[in-house]
Amino acid sequence: MKLAAIKPVSRVLLRELGISASLLLGVSVVVFAILYLAPGDPLNVLLGGQLPRSELALGMREALGVPRTWYGQYATWLGKVLQGNFGNSIRTGLPVLPELARVGVNTLYLIFGSLLLTLLIAVPIAVHAAAHGSTPGNTVATIVAYILSAVPVFWFGYIVVYVFINQLKMFPLISGTATKQAHAWLYFLVPIFVLGVASGTLAEMIRHLREELSRVLADDYIRTARAKGAAVWRHAFKEGFLIPVTEIMSAKMPFLLGGAVIVEQVFNWPGMGRMAWQAAQDRDFPVIMGIALVAAAFVRLGNLLQRVVFTAVNPRASKEQGP
Amino acid sequence: MRWRRYLQTPGPIGEYSKLSLWQRAEPLDLVYIGYGLLVVAVVGVSYLLGALGWLPDDPQRINVRLINAAPFTPGHLLGTDFLGRDLQARLILGIQAYFLPGLLAITISVAGGSILGVLAGYRGGWFDTIVTYFDNLIDSFPRLVLILLVVAAFKPDIYYVMVVVGITGMPVIANLIAGKIAFLREKNFIEAAHALGLSAHTVILKHILWFNCRALLVIQATLGMAEAILVETSLSYLGFGVQEPTPSWGNMVQAGANYFLQGNFWPSTAPALAILATILGFQLLGDGLNNLLEGKRGK
Repeated sequence: MKLAAIKPVSRVLLRELGISASLLLGVSVVVFAILYLAPGDPLNVLLGGQLPRSELALGMREALGVPRTWYGQYATWLGKVLQGNFGNSIRTGLPVLPELARVGVNTLYLIFGSLLLTLLIAVPIAVHAAAHGSTPGNTVATIVAYILSAVPVFWFGYIVVYVFINQLKMFPLISGTATKQAHAWLYFLVPIFVLGVASGTLAEMIRHLREELSRVLADDYIRTARAKGAAVWRHAFKEGFLIPVTEIMSAKMPFLLGGAVIVEQVFNWPGMGRMAWQAAQDRDFPVIMGIALVAAAFVRLGNLLQRVVFTAVNPRASKEQGP
Repeated sequence: MRWRRYLQTPGPIGEYSKLSLWQRAEPLDLVYIGYGLLVVAVVGVSYLLGALGWLPDDPQRINVRLINAAPFTPGHLLGTDFLGRDLQARLILGIQAYFLPGLLAITISVAGGSILGVLAGYRGGWFDTIVTYFDNLIDSFPRLVLILLVVAAFKPDIYYVMVVVGITGMPVIANLIAGKIAFLREKNFIEAAHALGLSAHTVILKHILWFNCRALLVIQATLGMAEAILVETSLSYLGFGVQEPTPSWGNMVQAGANYFLQGNFWPSTAPALAILATILGFQLLGDGLNNLLEGKRGK
């Protein structure tokens, strides 16, 4: 059984790796196209009108070795990106990739922490609703989840900050000057709490998990398991729980990365989202391009993992979809 | 209203009971839809009021003697903001920031999604592969990051942003339509239509899109509006949308933030509650209609 499951997984992994690579290539084309079509010239941003005549800018281009054609520019850029050279930030002059790696870790904490929290809230409600049908209790919980999903996450952040600063007399959460204090770990937990509760994914998560689990619980094989007195949950776990959970985690990853932009802004959290905000303010192209590429790579990685789990759980999947 | 007509027509082909739509509806779904329609009506009327300039007060008039007034202050039903400007008028005017841009976004996603969905489902083959690729490509970008990229590259114009929102909304609709077409094929519905001698044109537009996908499209348009409002308010909160002194719900929350942390909740909370109530309304309307019109029946 175990051995039989391994082979399809590696085959699927190879195929999915190929798909991911082709998608990331597409991502790079989109990112490049947006910047290429943008009005204005990065050179002008860089030099800020310091050149009196346009011929000088042309000479500058020549001196910097900027290719004339768009495909030349794309190829040069892609080649550098593949070598890990995302260019230097126009604002700070620092290389983009090391900076991204530095702040990206903070964003990862934020995203995985909040994803975990959302699951901790969503799973019990969904499982209860799937197992017992609609009861007053889980109906109320579902409605509350709907309302929480529509709460603007920035405003929810203010409420939490207010409660912490004014009511609980905690350290300054905002301002980024939070020094290591007794409750330093809370500094990490509060933004995670805010994004986890109000990111807008809660209602959708409950809905998806509940629908999938209900569908599986109504299946014939579960009825058989129930009839012969076997443990229903053990039989329903893979298809009814593991697959939907990994599916929704992977599907919501991009959404949470977007939510992180806002939460990081509210809490002055030194992550990729704040960096993206700053870069968009400054029209700092290398940084925002780097963030888009890294974020997309991250999303594809999450998707890849989800496919691996799916195939490991369901070896038939690789045969069905094989080329 | 237009919604009503959609509600009374039979849903997609498949097994449906003899009961009328209203009789077999879950009470909770009707509550969702009722609340959603109320929100749509309030937003629509308020948009018209704002467009015509019929506001309770001048939204730009500064009154330094009445700063951050509480609701029910005489002359200011919903109080005033940090410059003493009337919050009710600013909330109504704030709808201008997302209403037409939001309609643009859902028009793009519905039109583009339908075309892609028909290509993938009806033509199949290579088109299916290409549409799937496009779908995965769009899904690879965190939308807000893609929007910030566009904002940085072009300019912080809400219509540019809404084009991005519209395009990123296309894959969901395309997938749903392609799925619906696969379902219709399984039921030999499309084959039967062709056997009657109908042209591909008629089959696609009338029999597939109009008879079988309109409920789905209305639902997705409703959910799309919720997304558009979320994006607009988030962006104007981040400072990339409508700029002060023009009001938008997002920049109103942002403007009230400092006072919020000092304990003056209302100027920030009023627009936040407006965002909450509106997004909730569009989402509940979409989900309620989805349960009612597209839900599994006969079980």
